[in-house]
Amino acid sequence: MTESLTFRVNGASRTVETEPWTPVLEVLRERLGLTGTKEGCAVGVCGLCSVTVDGELLSACLVPVAAVAGCDITTVEGLADQERLSTMQDQFIAHGGFQCGICTPGQLIAATALLDENPRPSEDDIRDWLGGNLCRCTGYQQIVDSVSAAAASRAGDVAA
Amino acid sequence: MSDHPDHHGHDVPARPAPASLAGPERRLDGRAKVTGSAKYAADRHIPGELVARFLASPLPHARIVDIDVTRASAVRGVLAVLTGRDIGPVRMGRRLQDWPVLALDRVRFVGEHVVAVAAETAATAEEAVGLIRVDYEALDPILDVEQALADGAPVLHPEAAGYVYLGGTRPSVPHPNVQGHRLVTKGEGDIDSIFASAARVFEHTFNIPPLPAGYLEPHATIVWIDEDDLIHIVTPNKAPFNLRAQMSQALGIAADRIVVEVPYIGGDFGGKGLTIDEYACVFLARQTGRPVRAVMSAADDMATMNPRHSATIALRTAVNSDGRFVAHDARILLDGGAYAAAKPLPHLTLAGAINTLPAYAVPNVRIEVTVAYTNNPPAGHVRSPGEVQALFAGESHVDEIARALGRDPLEFRLLNAVREGDSGIDGSRFREPRAVEILETIRRESRWDEPRPPGVGRGVALAVRHIGGGKTGLRVRCSPAGQIRVVTGAPDQGGGVATVIRRVMAASLGIDEASVEVVHGSTAEAPFDMGVGGSRATHLASRAAERAAQQLIEALEERIEPRVAQHVDFESGTFVGERGRRLSFGEAAALALSGEIELTATYEAAVHDDDEPGDFNFSGYGIAVEVDRETGVVRVRDAVLVADVGTVINPVAHRGQLLGGFAFGIGAALTEELVRADGQVVSANLGEMKLPTAEDVPPLRIVEIPTAVGPGAFGAKMAGELTNTAVAPAIANAVRDAVGVRVTSLPIKPETVLRGLIEAATERERVPTA
Repeated sequence: MTESLTFRVNGASRTVETEPWTPVLEVLRERLGLTGTKEGCAVGVCGLCSVTVDGELLSACLVPVAAVAGCDITTVEGLADQERLSTMQDQFIAHGGFQCGICTPGQLIAATALLDENPRPSEDDIRDWLGGNLCRCTGYQQIVDSVSAAAASRAGDVAA
Repeated sequence: MSDHPDHHGHDVPARPAPASLAGPERRLDGRAKVTGSAKYAADRHIPGELVARFLASPLPHARIVDIDVTRASAVRGVLAVLTGRDIGPVRMGRRLQDWPVLALDRVRFVGEHVVAVAAETAATAEEAVGLIRVDYEALDPILDVEQALADGAPVLHPEAAGYVYLGGTRPSVPHPNVQGHRLVTKGEGDIDSIFASAARVFEHTFNIPPLPAGYLEPHATIVWIDEDDLIHIVTPNKAPFNLRAQMSQALGIAADRIVVEVPYIGGDFGGKGLTIDEYACVFLARQTGRPVRAVMSAADDMATMNPRHSATIALRTAVNSDGRFVAHDARILLDGGAYAAAKPLPHLTLAGAINTLPAYAVPNVRIEVTVAYTNNPPAGHVRSPGEVQALFAGESHVDEIARALGRDPLEFRLLNAVREGDSGIDGSRFREPRAVEILETIRRESRWDEPRPPGVGRGVALAVRHIGGGKTGLRVRCSPAGQIRVVTGAPDQGGGVATVIRRVMAASLGIDEASVEVVHGSTAEAPFDMGVGGSRATHLASRAAERAAQQLIEALEERIEPRVAQHVDFESGTFVGERGRRLSFGEAAALALSGEIELTATYEAAVHDDDEPGDFNFSGYGIAVEVDRETGVVRVRDAVLVADVGTVINPVAHRGQLLGGFAFGIGAALTEELVRADGQVVSANLGEMKLPTAEDVPPLRIVEIPTAVGPGAFGAKMAGELTNTAVAPAIANAVRDAVGVRVTSLPIKPETVLRGLIEAATERERVPTA
């Protein structure tokens, strides 16, 4: 039983013919070729598949695609403006917010969603918000540093 | 340059680090990783690929009586169903090939693959797996090492004599259920009589449970066979050339008929040293003529892939009346699980397991390491393999001895720490031992001598780890415009090796980093590399890069007229001509080259020789904890790492390794646990294993002790396996200091501490103080 479902991914309208219960993660990776969003635990624990749906941070492995019909999805591929990296992406590179990189798309999506909600988070706010995004490499400090720097930089942009 | 291996790089003395290395690096893999364009094995697709799924054993030990695949084979969309009988005795392994690709007649752990299915879709493959019927005759499982080594224990591998052992003859073992055995002794005297005559003798036993490496990317592979009959393997295996050699041996195929390509690895920590599904996929690809993809579920990965060896460690140390160690006897029993396949070293034990007292001067030593076969999942390498277990035991033991002698634990360590001229636990010598400086710095930085508030304790732990050797090579092309392209066979597991190569080449040639491009090549494209691991990558890659730069300069020098370049100033990579006129590397390339220069630079170094001092990183932690007496909860209040790091090539990534190692150690010390019941892993994901989150890792202060004696370019050392081992003993010692409870197993759970507190209180009530 398949249905035709339409939603937007990173600003572009996409229509897929699929079983409505297919997880968004599978649709992104296997149907749309957007492999930036990773599959880890597949049970909503690790945060590798973090995406935003209408601005809300979700684990794409847990959300059936029927639930996002008509919605706006943002994945890691949607963070940069063409060749220009977002402030968050740039700060992850500058501050060592990644090592192996497998959790990085999810961390970036989650961190970007945090600044949309709280533009000047404290270090505790950042650690609390990123509690659902595991990282085995960095020990988190340089991720937190990256997010703090991005927040400071964005605040500076606004002031300037 | 000669082809002679540089033992510790003696023939190439370390040069001072160029200024260009002082600034933060811009990682080569950064852009791909933050935009989502970086490809990992599971992101790859080959047109026409099938999906593989496996039927796994539900029992830890059983005889396979019958397998019925009739219904599975009949499912529409199923193209192959293979059993052990179909493929025969093909076994996997890095040194001893003892792990059957598909179980043959017998299963030895829960999760062992019994039947492989290839189908058009995952759903079809899973449906087929569900239709396979296996008739097992359950056998008594051996689930602990004592049981495995008992007289008359059932032999788990009666066919062991026929197993392939790569690179020589397998050393003999003292019991048929032993995978590997190693005895290390040091000292002239009879150790038993030294113990008998010593002023004091202390004995303690520790238990360290199994634990997965905790990488977030499950194992995944894609295999296809091309029109020329070349076998292509996409894999997250961290040592592609070694995998090629192992598969070549197991499958009876020439190594150059196998091409191994490693995309970005989504976390390794040792767990990607042995990968398994590549082998079954070769058979499925042959059977079907189609590419085959196998992506492990995270739960299966966690239940079956390469967990840390659990250990029982019994330590006995003799101390003279001054408080100095005179003899040390260690018995280290490791649970190797059902197969020894993941262990690469000739003795089939873990090298680090002898490091119970690695940073102390001990004149007489006897250390016996025994790894046993059991019916637990096969154990593997996890960040500082063996050393995590040995050091938790050893540094807890040292602390208890100090306390029993009424000595301050830090002072007691200073008394016994290795100094210049002292040898290590196995008799090897250190170049520039730094134990004393580390301890004195911890004393200062942790305010060791200041009084502790109530409920707060301080602990110290000292560690030392060798810098790995091995072999790597770089293929280098230089254009007349001075643009350099380097191909390395060392994969990227997140450590930043490509950026190490780029920065060292740029610094050695006096050129901008942007002129050096570094790519990861397959086994068909890159020169041999031993794999990223064993604390070797920076050492080997940086030296190979330095050598490649020198070879490039020499190649240009040959092509430039003498009046233009009378000699080369290798320090700055400039060419000095008539009247002192200088040419940069780029100018020389433009002048000398009509086409590209292509060259291969190789570098090889022994781990260390017995007759030469070896290169080591000394480090230690001072950690303060607060223990809640009502709940047993341990909170880290302050943590300082003091480390001898050598010259740093990638400052940002280097700090990341130190911080990441600390967090790795925090998880192992306080929360992480792989729960097993009757041989079955029941922790299903990293959340249940309690991997630390951003909220769980306390801040770390880092104090680096500068040196320039490392074996890498400009004196570089290692960082990846430097900072995780001493965290757990430092915390255990701090808990002891805070509330008097000695924890002898990991993790240090609230219930363990609380039980210790209650037992101590009960003891106090029962025995009135005099």
